[in-house]
Amino acid sequence: MKHPWRWIIGLLVLGFLILLALIPGGEKIEFEVAGEFDRHVLIELPTIGPFDMSITKTVAYLFVAVAVIVVATIVVARSLKEKPGRFQYAMEALYELARDGIVASVMKSGKKQWFPYIGGVFIFVLVSNLIGLLPLPFGEKHQPAFYAATANLNVTLMLALFTFVFTHYAGIHKNGAVRYVKAWAPSGAPPVLKQVIWFIHVVSEIFRLISLSVRLFANMVAGHAILAVFFAMALIFQSYLVGLALQGASVLIYMFEIFVAFIQAFIFAILSAVYIGGALDQDH
Amino acid sequence: MDPEAAKELGKLLGAGLSMGLGAIGPGVGLGIMIGKALEAIARQPEVAGDVRTNMFIGIGVTEAVALYAFVVALILIFVA
Repeated sequence: MKHPWRWIIGLLVLGFLILLALIPGGEKIEFEVAGEFDRHVLIELPTIGPFDMSITKTVAYLFVAVAVIVVATIVVARSLKEKPGRFQYAMEALYELARDGIVASVMKSGKKQWFPYIGGVFIFVLVSNLIGLLPLPFGEKHQPAFYAATANLNVTLMLALFTFVFTHYAGIHKNGAVRYVKAWAPSGAPPVLKQVIWFIHVVSEIFRLISLSVRLFANMVAGHAILAVFFAMALIFQSYLVGLALQGASVLIYMFEIFVAFIQAFIFAILSAVYIGGALDQDH
Repeated sequence: MDPEAAKELGKLLGAGLSMGLGAIGPGVGLGIMIGKALEAIARQPEVAGDVRTNMFIGIGVTEAVALYAFVVALILIFVA
């Protein structure tokens, strides 16, 4: 044997792992994945008309996202330097991504007018998604909990409604209502086929609203559910060996969730830009 | 089998089938699309940035279809 020490250490590690597998795990704790997504009221406030004004977990996370964005941008804007430090460089990179990568690469007209909305929606969805990966003490009885504001269909539906309303507002403002609606059917088409194509276009416009909101919502919910299952896998299997083996897998899944957060914010913003740009230049 | 248990069976079976079969299409589509994006980048490396941006848009749209199946499975298990 050339290197006896390596064999001894290898056998010790193997013995340790086998010992871990044989130790009986802790008690079985009931773990429900769906409990993460309950509507949990933090502060009770009165109901004004049809709107229940109490501060729920989602509302608190929305406030946190806005506070993070405002504080970060104020901190950067106060101390702008010619040679940027790391934080200013990151903010400038995000700004350039929103301005050049999203708006300028997709829209042809109305870039300056619609950049505030699309940049704003990109940064807001990005910050909301990323904050959902940090455990903040908004859970039940002030436990730390993982929850993203965008993991709620109401929030994403509202963001998609903004895009929907702005799309049709941009088209009607530029072309006039009748010309805008008439342009949904291509001009050189036979009479009956024209109405059918127009009707299919109406259905696809409504489907864009649903798909934009459900895409973001389902990505965040699926990500959090997978994270919850991976983190609690040791409890489910009741074995220490599984818990040790899944440390690395949990970290990998967590990194993938960060990637998904960026991608989903980028896709929401760039699809909004595509829809608004498509409504602005209808006859390309 | 009593109706309650049959309903439970139907819901769970439907949820499993929905997610399982609903992930085939987007999986195949994503593979084809990313393969073509790789071919395009290999043929002409200057346009790698544009191709990558459009590829991410395509990935987002096709993965949304798999997530519709996921939402249907969620509705079957928790709401219906």
